[in-house]
Amino acid sequence: MSNQLEQKNTDLTNVTRREFVSSAAALGTGLVVASKPMKSLAESAKKEDLNVAVIGFGSQGKVLMDAMLQIPSGVRFKAICDVWPYKQKYAQRYLQKFKHDVNVYTDYQDMLDSEKDLDCVIVASPDFVHADHTNAALRAGCHVYCEKLMSNTVEGARSMVLTQRETGKLLQIGHQRRSNPRYIHAKEKLIDEANLCGRITTINGQWNRAVKEDDTWPKKYEIDQSTLDKYGYANMFEFRNWRWFKQYGGGPISDLGAHQIDIYNWFLDANPQSIIAGGGVDFYDKHEWYDNVMAIYEYEGKLGKTRAFYQVQTTTSAGGGYYEYFMGTGGAIKISENPKYTQVFQEAGADWAEWIDKGYIKQGASGGGGGYNPLAPKPWDKPKGGSGKVDVRETAALVSWDIPVDLGNKKIHQFHLENFFDSVRGETALNCPADKAFASSVMILAANEAVGAQKMLKFEPSEFIA
Amino acid sequence: MKKKSITVLIAMCALASVGYSAPLKTDLPEPQLMGTPNPKWDEGVKNLYKGKVKWPEVPDGVTNLAKGKAVTSSDDFPLLGELEFVTDGDKDAGEGYFVELGPGLQWVQVDLAKESEIHAIVVWHYHSQLRAYHDVVVQISNDPEFKKDVTTIFNNDYDNSAKLGKGSDKVYGETNEGWPIAVKGVKGQYVRLHSNGSTSGEMNHYIEVEVFGK
Repeated sequence: MSNQLEQKNTDLTNVTRREFVSSAAALGTGLVVASKPMKSLAESAKKEDLNVAVIGFGSQGKVLMDAMLQIPSGVRFKAICDVWPYKQKYAQRYLQKFKHDVNVYTDYQDMLDSEKDLDCVIVASPDFVHADHTNAALRAGCHVYCEKLMSNTVEGARSMVLTQRETGKLLQIGHQRRSNPRYIHAKEKLIDEANLCGRITTINGQWNRAVKEDDTWPKKYEIDQSTLDKYGYANMFEFRNWRWFKQYGGGPISDLGAHQIDIYNWFLDANPQSIIAGGGVDFYDKHEWYDNVMAIYEYEGKLGKTRAFYQVQTTTSAGGGYYEYFMGTGGAIKISENPKYTQVFQEAGADWAEWIDKGYIKQGASGGGGGYNPLAPKPWDKPKGGSGKVDVRETAALVSWDIPVDLGNKKIHQFHLENFFDSVRGETALNCPADKAFASSVMILAANEAVGAQKMLKFEPSEFIA
Repeated sequence: MKKKSITVLIAMCALASVGYSAPLKTDLPEPQLMGTPNPKWDEGVKNLYKGKVKWPEVPDGVTNLAKGKAVTSSDDFPLLGELEFVTDGDKDAGEGYFVELGPGLQWVQVDLAKESEIHAIVVWHYHSQLRAYHDVVVQISNDPEFKKDVTTIFNNDYDNSAKLGKGSDKVYGETNEGWPIAVKGVKGQYVRLHSNGSTSGEMNHYIEVEVFGK
């Protein structure tokens, strides 16, 4: 990449996406609808290939790979690095099926030393080596897309921001909801422009998963102890189940909650002032990290105080899936990567006619304004069977609407990866640059700290700046 | 990994008339579903689980003839795992217990070493995630090339996209119970199982195939 382009990209990371879009529109570049995703690679003419390497081909590396393979042009895989030969072979053969011949490495530094024509590195290794892998790749002259959470330590995350600034390369963190067109529509159209929620007083979010057994491995594919030692793993069990151990990751609040708590900050344009949390290792007997966490963040936003609850449960999938629910005086937005969980609710006194006319929200499948069902019992209907009672203090169910953004057949990580590759080409700005993700990392890691401390922790605004 | 044994109770009087006198028994792996439930699946595909596994009636003395037998496939370079996993007797769902074949229509073939009388086949594609495989077609033959004397014993390729003939068997969802297929004494040395990706992706997977016969 040219120095000129690198400078342009460096500048772009220092402006918000909204500012960039406004500037681009003012310059007549045709980017006039900020809530729409940037023009994807799929919709563009064939693009010049970027040479890409991937570090880590575990479950998340595979998810990212599958999303990247959907991008029709402009991505050429050159190398894969994974410490487990079992996954090395998998990655190599997998990519062969898609006509990518890649070199395979066990050691990331060997890869960076040997592969001289890389443009980008995708980091999908365990959290505790994100900083090592990202910083080395940035210093090797590559732009980096690193999975969230940035690091399992604030120090590690800070080092990544500092290295990005030092090198001038791009660093996108994998909070992929920030590139999801449905989320962008909700943030930019429904909250910022239409103010459908009014003052957001409460947020409720969750990700609940059922109990599952620990990950296993067949004896014949066991990594020898000296190799495990070299790469920082105590044993094969911890290698396979690193997410549950403090040395390697941040636990479920980091693995699952990080995506959603990051959205709290984004939608509120604020960082929290405090956190109080409870949790514990309530079920599993071989894990270090808390399997259930409940946290409350307090924000002082532009319109007033917001209390934001979040729970992550790994002992039950009950409770309605995974979503973020922004509740305000005028309405509420319940949003998820899964459209099934996504709806907008209108308070009785709110006038949304303008936004309905503009198509910002649309009727749901049940008709009559989303969730309104003309056949449903009315508050004044006589209860059937004689057992019901009308409680006049009960608030009527809210009318619900849908968000009119269809993601088509794209995988949910594809938008964020496309945003990264387009940014590398200088066509747009990153949706989740390292400094923004740093603030989220601080508040997410603090949840575990609050559980351990068993008391409310206060944040200083300076803590969110690397 | 704990195993549980399933015994199918059958009406003895019904069996006596067709010569089937023993229920099929096989070890089932523990369920090991991973990840967050997907409501899209719940809505659209969950019905596949209703009234699902029906264990076939088999004669006395049948055994799993496939155990340890040689396996070949249409994919010379399986992406993950080894073909020997298909008949190694291990049905766990975890990493390292399944073989993954390339995208599109693929097959695995078990060589029973000699012509055998087959009464039931049970296949486990993948059971750590709710999914259904497309174009599941199971055939028996004495021809290793499957060019002649081919008997198709299961086919849910309802639109003949695999070009093996249109099938009318039901599409089913994968669970730890696998999918048992009644065969009723078809003779052959080779069993070939086709699939064409799944509701979760283009690739094809096999954890285990059991062939019960004599």
